[in-house]
Amino acid sequence: MTMDNSGGAKSGEDKNRGIIARLLDGDPAALARAISIIERNNPASKDILTAIQPHVGKALVVGFTGPPGVGKSTLVNAYIGELRRRQKKVGVVAVDPSSPLSGGAVLGDRIRMSEHISDSGVFIRSLASRGHLGGLSPMTAHVADLMGASGFDIVILETVGTGQSEVEMTEIADVKIVISAPGFGDDVQAIKAGILEIGEILVVNKADLPLAEHTIGQLKAMLALRTPTDWTVPVLATTALDGKGVIDLADAIDRKAAHNAQAFNQRAPIQRDPEWRLRQILADAAGKRIETYVRHTESARLKALLHALQDGSIDIDAAVDDVIDALHEDVLNDANA
Amino acid sequence: MGKIKPTEAARPVEQSDETKTASDIWQADYDAQIGSDQKIQNRSGIEIKPLYAPPDESDDAYQDKLGFPGQAPMTRGIYPTMHRGRTWSQRQLIGLGRPEDFNARIKKILSAGSTALSLIPCNSVYRGFDCDEVAPELLGTCGTVVNTVEDMEICLRDIPIDKISVGLNDPLPFSLLTLMLTVADKRGIDWATLTGTSNQSDYISHFVANHMFYRLSLPGSRRTLLDTFEYCASTVPKWNTLSIVGQHMQQAGATPAEAMGLAISTALQYAKDCQARGMDPDQYLARFTFFFDISISFFEEIAKFRAGRRIWARLVKERFGVTDSRATRFKFHAQTSGCDLTRQQPLNNIARVTAQAIAGIFGGLQSMHTDSYDEVLSTPSEGAATIAIATQNILKHEAHLCDVIDPLGGSYYIESLTDDMEDKILGVIRQIDEQGGMYRAVENGFVQRMIGVSAMAFQDKVESGEQVIVGVNAYEVEEDASSRPVLERPAQSAMQAQVDQLTRFKAERSQSAVDRALKILRETCQSPRDNVFAAELDAVRVGATHGEVIAAMRDELGFGQPLMVA
Amino acid sequence: MNEVASPPRVLMTKIGLDGHDRGSRIVTAFLRDAGMEVIYTNPWQDVSSVVNLALQEDVDVVGVSSLATDHLLVPKLMKGLKDAGLAHVRVVIGGIVPDEDEANLIKAGVSKIFHPGTPREDIIESVGRLAEDATNERPSL
Repeated sequence: MTMDNSGGAKSGEDKNRGIIARLLDGDPAALARAISIIERNNPASKDILTAIQPHVGKALVVGFTGPPGVGKSTLVNAYIGELRRRQKKVGVVAVDPSSPLSGGAVLGDRIRMSEHISDSGVFIRSLASRGHLGGLSPMTAHVADLMGASGFDIVILETVGTGQSEVEMTEIADVKIVISAPGFGDDVQAIKAGILEIGEILVVNKADLPLAEHTIGQLKAMLALRTPTDWTVPVLATTALDGKGVIDLADAIDRKAAHNAQAFNQRAPIQRDPEWRLRQILADAAGKRIETYVRHTESARLKALLHALQDGSIDIDAAVDDVIDALHEDVLNDANA
Repeated sequence: MGKIKPTEAARPVEQSDETKTASDIWQADYDAQIGSDQKIQNRSGIEIKPLYAPPDESDDAYQDKLGFPGQAPMTRGIYPTMHRGRTWSQRQLIGLGRPEDFNARIKKILSAGSTALSLIPCNSVYRGFDCDEVAPELLGTCGTVVNTVEDMEICLRDIPIDKISVGLNDPLPFSLLTLMLTVADKRGIDWATLTGTSNQSDYISHFVANHMFYRLSLPGSRRTLLDTFEYCASTVPKWNTLSIVGQHMQQAGATPAEAMGLAISTALQYAKDCQARGMDPDQYLARFTFFFDISISFFEEIAKFRAGRRIWARLVKERFGVTDSRATRFKFHAQTSGCDLTRQQPLNNIARVTAQAIAGIFGGLQSMHTDSYDEVLSTPSEGAATIAIATQNILKHEAHLCDVIDPLGGSYYIESLTDDMEDKILGVIRQIDEQGGMYRAVENGFVQRMIGVSAMAFQDKVESGEQVIVGVNAYEVEEDASSRPVLERPAQSAMQAQVDQLTRFKAERSQSAVDRALKILRETCQSPRDNVFAAELDAVRVGATHGEVIAAMRDELGFGQPLMVA
Repeated sequence: MNEVASPPRVLMTKIGLDGHDRGSRIVTAFLRDAGMEVIYTNPWQDVSSVVNLALQEDVDVVGVSSLATDHLLVPKLMKGLKDAGLAHVRVVIGGIVPDEDEANLIKAGVSKIFHPGTPREDIIESVGRLAEDATNERPSL
């Protein structure tokens, strides 16, 4: 299925250049189109991703997650409002799960964010997880990069807390917010699901409920058991529907970002280390190359390696060495071919 | 679960009543209220009694579950005489175009037999806007544009509002009520003579389903309702400020039992709010009314209403310690459901509405609107609206459906079904209780999901053909497009004239007085001890428009966002 | 690099003043069960908001659920989409649309009108086909 069918004289590269230039210029239409291209893994993605490499890591990525019903979207909506008051341009990636049966999805996070629809300083994109087991679309990180390249200061990543996706959020987000709410069935359930591990800021929403203090107390107690790091995880109370506590949340996010930046010796508090993100991209790509080789190649060499692993005549580290060796030879062969 | 415990008689029992049976008490009340001779004979010469009950007075089961009309548990009706004494109010929704159009139509409808009026304002009014703030092609197509005191005066010209019950479809913050009260002042009418209802004022239902009527944030709505309730309790004592809506949920797809359960849960939530304000339950509960859909699931609807009455009478005593029997009455207005009407072969809808209306009558409603057969296509044409009223008159006068109170009472089917519906309804109420009450349940999305599941289930039934809909998935007929009724829409020029009139109105009033009053309204919003409704009234009196009042209140109290769940 | 097929993306919305959303919810569920991604929005959008939504979400089809006279605003929507470079996006209307207005809407560019009672399969088939057309007609940027 071809993406562009304008019938004009533009070459593929020219077309991509058009989108890329407009994307870097902050044109929302180009950003929207680029996101679609990335989602489809269209051949043009490569050009686009390469073009934005210099801009990777500029935007602060703030991840929000939590179980359904805690008021995530409402809180994100309030946070967007606060960011706009602080004159920040905001991109939002809202991810909802695709149906495992049909592959379709209802993407409804926008409902709670409708007040920002006409604000040109806010760009919201709804993504479906598209079969990715973790809940996060594999392209999510790239989408965040695109938004950053397009000039947004903050990219909010909103996902449903399904356990796995929180783990993935750690790969992408600079600041990780985990939201819970009191009296929500079992308060401790969400905590037990392990999301506490990744939360750098914990929020108890619907703080006007009677059990709020109890939940806050429980979370603080759990935190006390964690191995201390140089970042003290705050537990914040919000009432998103009224906007209460959102200023404190925004301040806490800024503090965490500054904390990250300090770790990388940056001056500007909102800027993160671009190198870190590039390492991520590189590691992902390299990992995919290795994975493809190991899982899908039918070469004699690989078969022999697998036999050797099976009968224990080689350990796993040595096996990895062999894999890298084999790939290295392939690279040399390709270069000479 | 849900079994009725024996209860005492709803009304305070006097000394001399100790020797009287419940039946005697009912008979005495009936005789006192029925007025002139009410002997009725059918065509065969048989005298028709007002009520049929088991001969054995000591039947505890009868007393526990059914009782006599006007006595606990109210299953058979909330008044001793019910429709035999006073039929339901024929309260047809009227709304189209300009106030002049409303006035003309309401006069016709009243002379055709309607006994009460119900003003339905334009969608723009529902959304909180004046007519100069929306796209003109959207004006006046589903209701009447009413933005100012002048508009309301024209709507009600020559209408004796001190004698006729007025229904205003008037969600928070009750701007139409403020306009009407101001008109009453101008006419020198004592507010104590005004009767009617702020129909569909239940804001929780608007957050969840239908969505048409919310304007203010949830906390803002809560405050405004309580202020209005308090203000009107003493100044407009016969006005029903609160109308709790089961219709929205049912039309959004809730089953009849769910709709009733959710409506009652909503009412319980409001009652708690009133209680927290320090109001007297015997007073405020007497002003609670309900508004329901009547679907074409005939017997189910009858049982739904009977069960609802029984549950409400018991719960208000259990939860709020009510002692006055008037506060245990489940008063409701009902509308035949537009969801059951079809676009295909629209004349068939007359039969549908008839069936629905009968169910409502047997269900013991106090007030009814019957849809016109062309309701699905557009605002009802005059001819169709006349048929809708005639339908009620035919049922009343020709089919004699008013002669007997709760005529299906005692039927094996109806009593069993009433019990089953009661179980289901109580189940829903319990689930809402477990969520922490209606506010929590709505914020959590619990209610929305419940409704969504039922909506899909019904859709599946229709698609599979399990639920037959004549003319749609069965008995289809080739239709001739010319047989479709003609669309009635207000002329663009007429609506433009309405906009011009608003402009003129604003130019002629004292802008400084309006500005001052709106400023005070805003300050009142921020001052919890003061009454916002009173401030609204003051603003409207000096010429503030509906849109201006709502805009000011939205600024101060928050703009409502629907609590939708995808 | 293997290109993956993308499910059709549909925007489900309401413009104008009406708020009843039972129909749009049900159709949204149909489309999801048929493998489409449906961006669901709340009612009372104005034309410029819908255009913005269609742009940001890069949708193939916009589904407008309409009651009362809200459908009369759709020609403005068609123009708005065109002005924003989104002429390839297909627009369908579901709900109560009087026969008298149908011809004008089609002339204004609306692809299809679904009246109450339209079978699920018809809606799915139409929307799927329109989504494919939209994708094929995307202009280059």
